[in-house]
Amino acid sequence: MDVIGIQLVNGLSYGLLLFMITSGLSLIFGIMGVLNLAHASLYMVGAYLALAITHYTIQNFLLALIVAPLLVGLISVLLEVFLLRPTYHLGHLSQVLLTFGLAYVIHDIVRWMWGADVQWLPLPDWLGGAVELFGQTFPLYRLVVMGIGFGVAAAMWILQEKTRWGAIVRAGLSNKEMVGGLGINIKLVFTVVFAVGGFLAGFGGVAAGPILGLFPGMEFEILILSLVILVVGGLGSILGTLIASLIIGVVDTFGKVLFPQLSLFIIFGLMAVVLIVKPTGLLGKQVHGNG
Amino acid sequence: MDKGIRWFPYFVLLAALCLIPLLFSSYVLGIASEILIFSIFALSLNVLVGYTGLVSLGHAAFFGVGAYASSLIALHFSDHLMITLAGGFIIAVIVSAVIGFFCTRVSGFYFLMLTLAFSQMIYGLVYRWGSLTGGDNGLSGIPKPRLLPSFRIDSGVSVYFLILIVFGVVLLGLNIVLRSPFGQILSGIRENEVRMKAMGYNTTLYKIYSFLIAGGLGGVAGSMYSYFNGFVSPKDVYWTLSGEVLIMVLVGGVATLIGPVLGAAFIVILKTVVGSYTDLWMLILGIVFILFVIFIPKGIAGIGSLRKKRAAGASVPLNAEN
Amino acid sequence: MKKHKLLYFLLLAIMVFISACGQGTQKTASNEAASSDKPKETAQQSEQPKNNGDAGNKAQETVKIGAILPYSGVYASLGENLTKGMELYFESVNWQAGGKKIELIKEDEENDPQASLRKFRKLVDQDKIDILTGTVSTAVAYALRDEVNSKQVPYLVAHAGGDDLTRSKRSDYIWRSSFNSWQIGTSMGQYAYGHIAKKVYLAAADYAFGKEVSKAFKKAFTDAGGEIVGEVYPPLGSNDYASYLTQIKSAKPEAVYSFFAGSDAVRFVKQYEQYGLKGKITLIGSGWLNAEDIRPATGNSGEGVVSTMFWDYGMQTPENKAFVDAYEKKYNSRPSIESVEGYDAARMIVEVFNNLKGDTSDKKKVSDEFGKVSFASPRGPLKLDPETHHVIQNLHVFKTVIKDGKTENEFVETVGEFKDPGK
Repeated sequence: MDVIGIQLVNGLSYGLLLFMITSGLSLIFGIMGVLNLAHASLYMVGAYLALAITHYTIQNFLLALIVAPLLVGLISVLLEVFLLRPTYHLGHLSQVLLTFGLAYVIHDIVRWMWGADVQWLPLPDWLGGAVELFGQTFPLYRLVVMGIGFGVAAAMWILQEKTRWGAIVRAGLSNKEMVGGLGINIKLVFTVVFAVGGFLAGFGGVAAGPILGLFPGMEFEILILSLVILVVGGLGSILGTLIASLIIGVVDTFGKVLFPQLSLFIIFGLMAVVLIVKPTGLLGKQVHGNG
Repeated sequence: MDKGIRWFPYFVLLAALCLIPLLFSSYVLGIASEILIFSIFALSLNVLVGYTGLVSLGHAAFFGVGAYASSLIALHFSDHLMITLAGGFIIAVIVSAVIGFFCTRVSGFYFLMLTLAFSQMIYGLVYRWGSLTGGDNGLSGIPKPRLLPSFRIDSGVSVYFLILIVFGVVLLGLNIVLRSPFGQILSGIRENEVRMKAMGYNTTLYKIYSFLIAGGLGGVAGSMYSYFNGFVSPKDVYWTLSGEVLIMVLVGGVATLIGPVLGAAFIVILKTVVGSYTDLWMLILGIVFILFVIFIPKGIAGIGSLRKKRAAGASVPLNAEN
Repeated sequence: MKKHKLLYFLLLAIMVFISACGQGTQKTASNEAASSDKPKETAQQSEQPKNNGDAGNKAQETVKIGAILPYSGVYASLGENLTKGMELYFESVNWQAGGKKIELIKEDEENDPQASLRKFRKLVDQDKIDILTGTVSTAVAYALRDEVNSKQVPYLVAHAGGDDLTRSKRSDYIWRSSFNSWQIGTSMGQYAYGHIAKKVYLAAADYAFGKEVSKAFKKAFTDAGGEIVGEVYPPLGSNDYASYLTQIKSAKPEAVYSFFAGSDAVRFVKQYEQYGLKGKITLIGSGWLNAEDIRPATGNSGEGVVSTMFWDYGMQTPENKAFVDAYEKKYNSRPSIESVEGYDAARMIVEVFNNLKGDTSDKKKVSDEFGKVSFASPRGPLKLDPETHHVIQNLHVFKTVIKDGKTENEFVETVGEFKDPGK
């Protein structure tokens, strides 16, 4: 029983880590309709910037946790203004190619700047400890990550449901022309949404650094996984993304233990089943009248 | 348009390709063979992406299935060209029938992700089933195809001509099929599926047909690759190959016949040339993709004014709201 | 819009410039090193009369060595270190072999068998190489095998360790100077039973090489009388080992034998500590678990790891000390396992060319010559088995300890000489 309990916690903590990385992707796709294949690259950039901060300035993980994502957000603004904005009119497929190209470029820039060796984001001692859970040792930091993950989810929910910005964004999701007609600068909305998405990706990168490590190529590992979560959760639903992240985390964890032979199938099998049974994902909205 | 004129450019292209072994070294011949194989592969994907408007990120599944099927037949059963080629084609068609049955029920982004899911499951199967597929080490020592008991297609030139013949058949065959009423229906689905349904067409069935053609020809490309390299590995089933062939189609120009061929040539040459000058080839490739989107959004085939109209007419939807 | 376009061109120009710079330092390394050595050549003539004896009239001729190594992707650092080791040796002989000038042509393996085949054809058809070396991935080596054999290109494998390459896929033209999975797994299997544990849990990355190593370990360990209490094979490139570690812990083994390399090794060792296994269950494995290029990332988590490997930084032989000094002087960083592999492979190639006095016309003769080479390498006595074409070498035990707040590997003992049985 204890082992099942600890594995459940393992799965949930992994799931929440994945949520932090995927939430930004979900936000951007949901509101802007852009499938940003460079999203995981921003996650990698966040992790490496944090490494640079803890290495070369004050060795302060918490500082890196705030500053690195802000820098990634800034980079996102530049990318949105100079690359994405001029290409919105070309359609979705062009953006897939564009962001994929961007992922390639970022990959090589990171390798060029930081080298190809594996690196690790060090934790401060007070976060590096362990706690007793179900009679087993459990890393304290993973519990912290769980807390942060729920915090991010709550903050995004409040932002979307309770603030003026959230209202604009929700309106933009269902009808872009109307928002423009109301005198709201839709360009600005898009830039802000993309920056927030980039911030979240960078934040996820810093948070994951002490658990997953850093190396060029880490982004492609995460990219496919986060696309799966995006689809399983349903497009444009933060709650769906949260639930999907937790399900994927738990299923993956138990799948590894119970069916180790099938570990390459389980996640994609789950996605295929969800798409076949409920093509809009668990909590996806079916938007009518545009087809 | 006069039939003779319509066919003329294709025959010039094929004739020019026949001259390559005479004029260039075996290294260039190898690259030309690869370009033709990926041209077949990209042409097959374009049936889905360009003509039917279904963007697939799992097309490597069929390439890999064709390659593995041909290789396994050659290793364990018979290395006769017709048997391995037919085997690769038929098994790829069967697999695409199963995958197509599920995938054609969804559209847009969901189609993209569902094809990805199925192809990754096939990748998992290939990777896992080590006793049959050699796992991640792949299958090596695949015998070259035999045409007659005494004639084996093993030299670089003969493999090239085999690939060239198949390429010619695929190119001309697709030219006929996609201009036929059948092809018009596919284009109709791309432009407005609801209207086609209203006109009484069973669009799902046509989408499955399109999926079968794409999958089968993808398998043929895979078979060619196994003849060419004498080796297959799980990389031939992996999603990165699906992404690469999709890029070939996009860079070349969707919904044109010559676009995927130009795209395949462009990407293969670019990777070969850039790869031997710098280790930062991903950077260069990435920049090229970005420049393409910004400056040549219609692909290489869209540059010439002659093809402009047709290329511009194609808009491939990828929004979930379809 | 016009303003934008200008910006993009500017950006493009910068990128091209950057990549040109990167390329300048990378690809022309051999030429730079060669030219900077020219003044030294005369000074060293007295020391190396053998090499420069008949160099006078053949100075213009070159021997071409093609190297297919990963310079991008997850294995990029291995490729870089192998190259550094090779170039260090070539530099020590002034880029001269058999009286000819050495030309090293590097191609990116991309961790992709098909791409590597393309590179191989370029090296053979266009560059007309005399000898091929490299490849980190076993799949790539297997992919090249048939074409190497039919085109009769002497090929010295400098890393890829799949057993079959010198067994069922053995070729008259293929030799291997690095290791194979049998040597890595068997050495620890023999050592662990008497010295570390009777009950062991197996954890290895789920790919062909990981499976081969753990199979070799299992056989040697159970033959010695040990018991395997459980096995687990996480996928290559696993993010999270939490569930496996929980599983391992509840099986209560005395030790865990693990085969992981690169980022997998770092994650496994790190999470091994985070989940409280470190210090309670001894972690044993191959030398890639506590390799020179892994330990900076794993930090103190790596303390107590016991591994078997053919070389480590801390070996106290004169050959190794000389090698380490020269390497650190040139690159200002420590050599890794791959650096030694590159260094040894380069030395073998040079000695073969020297023995043949630079005559590479008969490919079979060039290939056969590898069976006659033997020397004291930084890793110890080294020779190739003319029968299997595989390296015969000693394997040693190393333990990671903490010195001055940092981890170091300590030499424990030599397990013995390992010669592949060939089947």
